[in-house]
Amino acid sequence: MIQGVRNYLVFLFRCGRIAFVGDWRYYAWMGILTVLILLGINAYAKQFVHGLITTGMSDQVSWGVYISNFTFLVGVAAAAVMLVIPVYIYNNEELHDLVIFGELLAVAAILMCLAFVTVDLGRPDRFWHLIPGIGQFNFPASMLSWDVLVLNGYLLLNVHICGYLIYCRYKGEKPAKWFYIPFVFVAIFWAVSIHTVTAFLYVGLGGRPFWNSAIVGPRFLASAFTAGPALIILALQIIRRVTDYRITDKALLTLRSIVQVSMLINVFLLANEIFKEFYSGNLHVASSKYLFLGLHGHHALVPWIWTAITFNMIAMVLLILPVSRSLRWLNLTCVLAIVGIWIEKGMGLVIPGFIPTPLGEMVEYSPSLNETLICTGIWAFGLLCYTIFLRMSVPILQGRLSKANESQGPGEAPGAPAH
Amino acid sequence: MNSSNSASGAVQTGDGMNRRSFLRASAVLTTGLAALAASLKPLMELEDFPTAERFMQKYYTELTPTEMDKVLKRIADETEAQYGKRPHVRDLKPMDGVEFAYCLNLTRCIGCRKCVHACVKENNQSRNPEIQYIRVLRLPHGSMDMEKAEHHYNPEKVPEPGFFNMPVQCQQCKNPPCVKVCPVHATWTDTDGITVIDYDWCIGCRYCEAACPYWARRFNFTKPFIPKDKLNPEMAYLGNRPRRQGVMEKCHFCIQRTRDGRYPACLEVCPVGARKFGNVLDPSSEVGTILRTKRVFIQLKEELGTSPRFFYYFDV
Amino acid sequence: MNQNTKITVVVGALAVAFLSLAAGFWANAWGHQEAREEIPLVDSQFNTPDTFRQSYAELMRIKADLSDFDCYACHDKGKPPPIRYDKNHNIVVPQEHAGSIVMAHGSHDRNNLCFNCHDEQNLELLQTRDGKQLKLFESTRLCGSCHGPTYRDWDAGVHGRTGGFWDAKPNQERTRLNCVDCHNPHKPKIPGRHPAPPPHMLHPVRQVEHATTH
Repeated sequence: MIQGVRNYLVFLFRCGRIAFVGDWRYYAWMGILTVLILLGINAYAKQFVHGLITTGMSDQVSWGVYISNFTFLVGVAAAAVMLVIPVYIYNNEELHDLVIFGELLAVAAILMCLAFVTVDLGRPDRFWHLIPGIGQFNFPASMLSWDVLVLNGYLLLNVHICGYLIYCRYKGEKPAKWFYIPFVFVAIFWAVSIHTVTAFLYVGLGGRPFWNSAIVGPRFLASAFTAGPALIILALQIIRRVTDYRITDKALLTLRSIVQVSMLINVFLLANEIFKEFYSGNLHVASSKYLFLGLHGHHALVPWIWTAITFNMIAMVLLILPVSRSLRWLNLTCVLAIVGIWIEKGMGLVIPGFIPTPLGEMVEYSPSLNETLICTGIWAFGLLCYTIFLRMSVPILQGRLSKANESQGPGEAPGAPAH
Repeated sequence: MNSSNSASGAVQTGDGMNRRSFLRASAVLTTGLAALAASLKPLMELEDFPTAERFMQKYYTELTPTEMDKVLKRIADETEAQYGKRPHVRDLKPMDGVEFAYCLNLTRCIGCRKCVHACVKENNQSRNPEIQYIRVLRLPHGSMDMEKAEHHYNPEKVPEPGFFNMPVQCQQCKNPPCVKVCPVHATWTDTDGITVIDYDWCIGCRYCEAACPYWARRFNFTKPFIPKDKLNPEMAYLGNRPRRQGVMEKCHFCIQRTRDGRYPACLEVCPVGARKFGNVLDPSSEVGTILRTKRVFIQLKEELGTSPRFFYYFDV
Repeated sequence: MNQNTKITVVVGALAVAFLSLAAGFWANAWGHQEAREEIPLVDSQFNTPDTFRQSYAELMRIKADLSDFDCYACHDKGKPPPIRYDKNHNIVVPQEHAGSIVMAHGSHDRNNLCFNCHDEQNLELLQTRDGKQLKLFESTRLCGSCHGPTYRDWDAGVHGRTGGFWDAKPNQERTRLNCVDCHNPHKPKIPGRHPAPPPHMLHPVRQVEHATTH
């Protein structure tokens, strides 16, 4: 038992140690992220002191880019499941080892989500009111309490699965199936639930007709399963580029077909939504009009949404064409899809829900500098986490960092056979 | 990372290299920590750091009477320290056999906005940034479509021909969406029908603000500002005591007055008597009479099923 | 440049970046909170429950100068003042009253005879259509003798202004206003008035295009 704890602590220590070791590109990358994080911390300190007046939000538009990014990132986290399903349900061998990278991305995304929710709180000092048992947890009535549960649960599930698999690989043991397979299957359903619950945050509000639509949940999932795997494709390409970890083209192309199908569904659902809003033309079309066409001389979101739609359309066409089998084109496609969906789900979903207000007032929103710095800081924090996770897990998966070479000091043992 | 072997290898080769990497590490670490420390500088301006007592304060319904007395005394102390006037803070409970309702006569309202400002004065609302519980709309004659509402009308004289005015404030719903969505039970409906907020429990997530179909909730985006001489010292815990930055507030039917038997401030100030308030369980009350005898009254956005206790009506 | 030198360069650059960040943070070089634009406090006429006008009863209560109501300072007792009409049959308000009285009670000039309400035998009294005499401060009953439904509503507290306590008990009373506390009996329609200032936005820059009409 004590030996086991010691081994685990050594493992953690070595993992921590290796996060500070790398080549100059690694230092430069981590340095840039740190600078962005510091800028974010400073901006948040200002917000903490002066309040949310430092943002562009108001009583009229009371949620802004924080919640937009939160919504997008919940989708990214949920999308890890798109790697898990082929591997554990369809026994896809190509993706088998890549599942971990997807789940680590999910962990990083959830950490960002939690950060985005925290910076959105007016009284972060009272976070403990949310803790079940200690505070007053309005469960099951409040969808936000569901979200707190499912997000933290998903975080724990993924930390457990990744941590266990990596630690087994480190020890050179075969993971005990009963200790992670059940969790993998729970995580599959859980992933769907985190994004559905996040969609229900909006869908459940009868006073906001723009959100109060049954299609929002399916749209969330479709867009998440487009943007998430697209992000994983890019991450894998980078891993392949900067490490000697072997990732096959075939694995990337499997992900491409997932993105392909999801994108088609996503665009189809968007078209459904647009048809319903504009053809029936009832009074509730105001928010959609504001988003797509502008209303009463206010049109801040119009260029954004048309950029998003253009990007999505180009990405969809590229995905259908065989040209995206070439990895360079695939990268472009993924970037277009990610940016398109980020806009559509952030600016395009959260903000128009507030415009016009339930009393018909038109007040526009644009993020302030301080708010933008906080967002960049959180994104940098997420990327930093993901980089560190990869920095730790790649050598372990390759067998360079293992219990067997524990005595060789903090670094990786050179020349250990890749798995 | 590919070539990190050589880099990490460098850590272990020779004293010179060790010194070099140590210098490098300490340079990054010290400058980094300096930057981190400097980045937190804005925190030095934090005036309102929550004391341990305030940080740990229990939920409203869990406070024993003695604890509540201590809390009320603390609020009075803090308010006195800030505004130089000792307030009279009470924790007023709902009265038995009372359920409030509000009736507003749209035929009478002239849109003068006096209710808005009497409310601000009574309820210690922030003057800058401005927080107002009541929004008076100007709608074109014949339409209840909120999207046609004008909020910023400012003509020489009201009422304006061709328009009618409609003040909107918290509708004190029987089925309030804001209460449903609050993740921490910081807002709830009392037995007299008033939906209240514990300002010391709200975490400021603004979900209730997104949920309210009447745009009745207001958030303290920064520290509220009330001129010292404008403070209303007659206060209630769930009512008009001064709020802090980062919490929600809204109309509470002037709890500090109505649970004491008085009329709300917006009613008393209304120059045309368009506003009527009382106990709906008493059929002879003003609101009882209106709901019994007037033909048409409107619950705003009735189709949402919120079932407001606020009724708009018309008469000759 | 070998790997090691490159790292040193990167680390050096980072150290410089961190130091300049620290300096920037310390000097609060960007994104400082600007002072908010002043919002003038609202005039007290907009938040105090004053009435449109002061009735005779109110003037009595506050012991104001009532010499304006001393009819027989000018008129002769027992001699009903003559009523004159112009060619459109609109009443001609005598010059002595022109400053204070505008006759506009009822549409289509249906109520343009002083003695519909005033007692022609005793100008200091009012009279209902069925001949009941009322004191000046009892005018509400006079109004009620014609405006039945409104009087009924007023009686129930539904029409007109109330104040004080909804939960009326001894020592905590509901205050009621009379018709003439708000309505000018000679011109009962409530006049238009200037509204209190419109709301101010949290972020004033976004207010620019707000016209008074859409």
